[in-house]
Amino acid sequence: MTTIAPAPGRERVTESDRSPAQRAPERVDHSRERVRGLDRVWLLVFLAPFLLLYLGFTIWPLIATIYYSFFDWSGIGPIENFAGVDNYGSILADPLFWVSVVNTLIFALLTTVIKLPISLVAAILLTRKWLRGKRFFRTVFFAPLIIPVAMAGLIFTYLLNPSNGALNAILRDLGLVDEGFDVFANRWSALLVLVLVSIWQIFGQYMIYWMAALQNVPEELYEAAAIDGASEWKKLTRITLPIIKPVAVIITLLGLVNAMHVFGLVVTLTAGGPGTSTYVVSYFIYQNAFGRVPFDYGYASAAALLFSVIAFVLVSAQGLAVRRAQRLRKEYGV
Amino acid sequence: MTTTTQATRRSNTVRANLIALPILLVVGLVWVYPFLWTISAAFKTQAGMFTSGSSLVPDQLNFDNFVRAWVNAGFSGYFFNTVLYSVVSTFIELVKAALCGYVLARYEFPGRTLLYRMIVGTLFIPVASIIVPQFVLIENLGLLNTRAGVILAMSGGAGALYVLLFVGFFSSVPTDLFEAAKLDGAGFLKTFGLILPLAKPVIAVVVIFQFISSWNEFNIPLVFTLGQPELQNLAVGMMSFQGEYATDWTGFAAGMTISFLPMLMIFLFFQNYFTRGLAGATKG
Repeated sequence: MTTIAPAPGRERVTESDRSPAQRAPERVDHSRERVRGLDRVWLLVFLAPFLLLYLGFTIWPLIATIYYSFFDWSGIGPIENFAGVDNYGSILADPLFWVSVVNTLIFALLTTVIKLPISLVAAILLTRKWLRGKRFFRTVFFAPLIIPVAMAGLIFTYLLNPSNGALNAILRDLGLVDEGFDVFANRWSALLVLVLVSIWQIFGQYMIYWMAALQNVPEELYEAAAIDGASEWKKLTRITLPIIKPVAVIITLLGLVNAMHVFGLVVTLTAGGPGTSTYVVSYFIYQNAFGRVPFDYGYASAAALLFSVIAFVLVSAQGLAVRRAQRLRKEYGV
Repeated sequence: MTTTTQATRRSNTVRANLIALPILLVVGLVWVYPFLWTISAAFKTQAGMFTSGSSLVPDQLNFDNFVRAWVNAGFSGYFFNTVLYSVVSTFIELVKAALCGYVLARYEFPGRTLLYRMIVGTLFIPVASIIVPQFVLIENLGLLNTRAGVILAMSGGAGALYVLLFVGFFSSVPTDLFEAAKLDGAGFLKTFGLILPLAKPVIAVVVIFQFISSWNEFNIPLVFTLGQPELQNLAVGMMSFQGEYATDWTGFAAGMTISFLPMLMIFLFFQNYFTRGLAGATKG
């Protein structure tokens, strides 16, 4: 997805490289023109729908979240109970917040580490020319995406329930367990179930991302490699992976960030339980803001902000690490 | 010579298929098992459901569950809401992203770079972290517990990614095309009308992505329809249904079956276009 974030000046650079004669300062940008006259009105009309919604539902909420986080506010009446950094103080001291953060990070890392490689393998396999039934298998792996994730959670609560769920029936038939065993009774097995169900549900989307990335690899390269007698493994490691690497970074980022939003699955599968041991941050925020009376918008906002900062640091650290690795590799020529 | 190499290649292909297909079939069966189980449970009787374990064969073909789910439990209403929310929010997302992306890619204006950077910067903001002010905003607009409020919240927050997809696409359109349009005397709107059809692959991606994500949306409908079942979508309604009729799993399964069949059909219909569109939109 290399065109997602083209540097604003990228076309400019290539343009001027191509024709040095045109690099006059008054024509900085060849491809974008200035608007004149009536066109200015049209420009505003075109920008207005996005700008209005963007300011109202993204920019203002961001600012308001920061503002609310310094107040003690239940959502009723005016915001006047200035609390300073009290909300932050109590959140940092709230063990439930840290349980939520740790669970969210475990969940995000585990799902990403598992789903990305296997969806890549599936994508490579399902784009091979020799494979029969590609269309059928693509549909099979994509199918869970059409069930709302919260509903998928409900199906699995039944399939996994200890008294008459399918999992326990199979385990009993195989003679592995004698009596019902409850995967939701323990924090770690409950978290594992969240991870696995989430991978099951979202897998198809990442498979499609990878398939799109693979379509950008020119077929001629494979043909040339085949003439040189390269093995399938060599083709994969020397052609496919290097070419899709830039897209892979973006897919990884998307995977991590999307996983940090996990909400519906937690609500329907574990509701944060057993006890509060599988709380995730979005559930923590929801519970504080809307889940229990009295509502505490200030506290929820402070939690949201703190977590955004944590997530931002992690994501940019990952981005930096990738860039560093790429630079090192270039230096040593590996 | 060539015939023998062709023969070995063909036998290699057969062998590769013989290895890959059984693995794919087993994994695929595990993958669709929850679907098959749900469809089969939709036909089971309550008693049959509780004793059937992992079996996929219903004890009888029973259509009562579908009637009960659709009529009594109000799945028809949830279904209607889900379709409405998904269609309208997809339309809003598409229009605002296409218009904004076009202008950002083609025109130079004060604040352009700033806006572009802001959009990139807010690409990864989680819904959960800004949902409280969104709630307050909808409340102040007097739209709390209305369908318009849910739609507005669903199509207001997202969309940065879609704008960037359109910017990427429109910047890659050769300038000559615009010059030609101008020579033919096409104005601002006419030019846009000429160029937009070229963006079909991006449009397809935005439509499919946004449709799937609004079809699956849970957090926003949950918060914005608290205590208003007649406004809820399938995902949220299903949960309250389960809370209310905790033992009616066959009715629940029937409701699920009704709700995922249309999506499955849409996907089968658009499948090829989907992958091709995504590949086209991401071509760098």
